[in-house]
Amino acid sequence: MTQASAKPDADTDTDVAQEEWTPRIVAFVCNWCTYAGADLAGTSRLQYAPNVRIIKLPCTGRIDPMFILKAFEQGADAVLVSGCHPGDCHYTSGNYHARRRWGLFRRLLEFTGIDARRLFFSWVSAAEGQKFADLINQITDEVRQAGPFDATNPARKRL
Amino acid sequence: MNLEQLKQDAKAALEDGRATLVIGFRDRASECVPAFVASADQADALTYDDTCIANTAAYLRKPEVRERRPVALVARPEVMRSLVLLKAENQLTDDDVLVLAVGGDTYHGVLTLSDVEALLNEQYAELAPEAETLAEIERLEAMTAEERAAFWAEQLAKCTRCYACRAACPMCYCERCIVERNVPQWISTAAREHGNYAWNVIRAFHLAGRCTECGACEAACPQGIPLMLLNSLVAREVRDTYGSRPGYDAEAEPVIGSWNKEDGEDFIR
Repeated sequence: MTQASAKPDADTDTDVAQEEWTPRIVAFVCNWCTYAGADLAGTSRLQYAPNVRIIKLPCTGRIDPMFILKAFEQGADAVLVSGCHPGDCHYTSGNYHARRRWGLFRRLLEFTGIDARRLFFSWVSAAEGQKFADLINQITDEVRQAGPFDATNPARKRL
Repeated sequence: MNLEQLKQDAKAALEDGRATLVIGFRDRASECVPAFVASADQADALTYDDTCIANTAAYLRKPEVRERRPVALVARPEVMRSLVLLKAENQLTDDDVLVLAVGGDTYHGVLTLSDVEALLNEQYAELAPEAETLAEIERLEAMTAEERAAFWAEQLAKCTRCYACRAACPMCYCERCIVERNVPQWISTAAREHGNYAWNVIRAFHLAGRCTECGACEAACPQGIPLMLLNSLVAREVRDTYGSRPGYDAEAEPVIGSWNKEDGEDFIR
C-alpha cells in the first residue's frame, strides 16, 4: 500500500516500466498431471505466488525446446517444465522422452549463458496440489534472488 | 598417403559403373575445394590432405547427386561416421554409396558402408575433437553465466544467417528446416540480430547425438563463429550422460527419440 501511494500511476498501462520488478515465470505443464495438480491447488484454495503463467500442453513430450527459447526471447525471467512422474505418463513414455531432451538441452542453455537458476524441471502429479503450490513459491523466491533476466543476454529479443 | 591408389580406385569405380560420380577434393589456387568427378579421365585432378575439411556426405541430399547414386565419396573417419548415421536414420543404404576411405596418412581403399562401420570400430573408435576446442569449452564453463552470455552475445552478433553451417552439414537434411517454418514462425528471419541465438542454439540441439564433430560447419562459417564449441559440448554430454557414440553403429537408437528408465534426473524436482 505504501508503494502504491508512492507511485500513484503504477497501475496504469503507461507506467508499466516503472513498476517494481517481479519475476515472470512461464510454466509449460502437461494436461494430465501437473495441470491437474495446479487445478487441485486452486480448488483446495492453496495460495501460491502469482508470478507463474501456465501453458498447458498434452504432454511434456510435446514441449519443443523452441518453446523455452521463445519464452526467454519474449521476456520470461525463468521457465518451468513440469509433467507426470516417471511411469505415470498418460501416453506411456512422453515424460521419459522429455527427461532425456531436457537433460541435454539445459546444458546447452547453461553453456550459452542462461543461468541454471532460471531453468526448472519437476514432476507434479494430479494429487500433488500442495507440491505444486510449494514449488511455485520456491522457484519464485529463487528467481527473485537471481533478479531480472538481463536484457543484454543473447537469448533475449534483440532489435 | 597413397593418393595414386585413390585416383586409380576412383577411376576404376567410374569405369566399371560401381559409381557414376566421385565426390572428393581438388586443388584450386592451393586451396582444397570439393571436386565432382563424373568421368574416369578427370580422376587425376583428385587430391587429399588435412585441409580438406568439407564433409562430402553433405552433398548426398542434393537432388542432382541423389539421382546419380551409387556415388563414391572421399571420406575421413568423421565423414564415415556421418554416413553410418545417415544409414541409421534410413537416409542411405549400402547400395547408395562407395567410400574411398582416408584416415590421417593412410588410404584404406574402397569400402562399402558395412566395411566402414567395421573400420571405424577397429581403428577410429577414439576420435576426439581438437584439443583447442575442448580447452575453450572448459574456459567458458569456468566462467559465470553472465560472462558466458557476454561471450555468446558477441559471437552470435556476427551471424548473418547465411545458413552455410546448415548447408555444410550432412545431418541437416530436413526438407523444411525449423528456421523456414513460418506458421508459426519460431525463429525470426529478419535481417537483424534477433533470432541469431535461437537459430544457433536450436541448430546445435537438433544435432544432439547426431553430430560427428567433423568441423565442416565451423569451417564453412564466413563470420568465424566458433560453432564447434556448441557441437562439441552437446557431443560430450551425449557421450558422458547417455553413453552414446553416434556414427559407430547403424542399428543404434538415436539419443533424442529413445529413452531409458534409468536416465538421470538429478535436475528434476
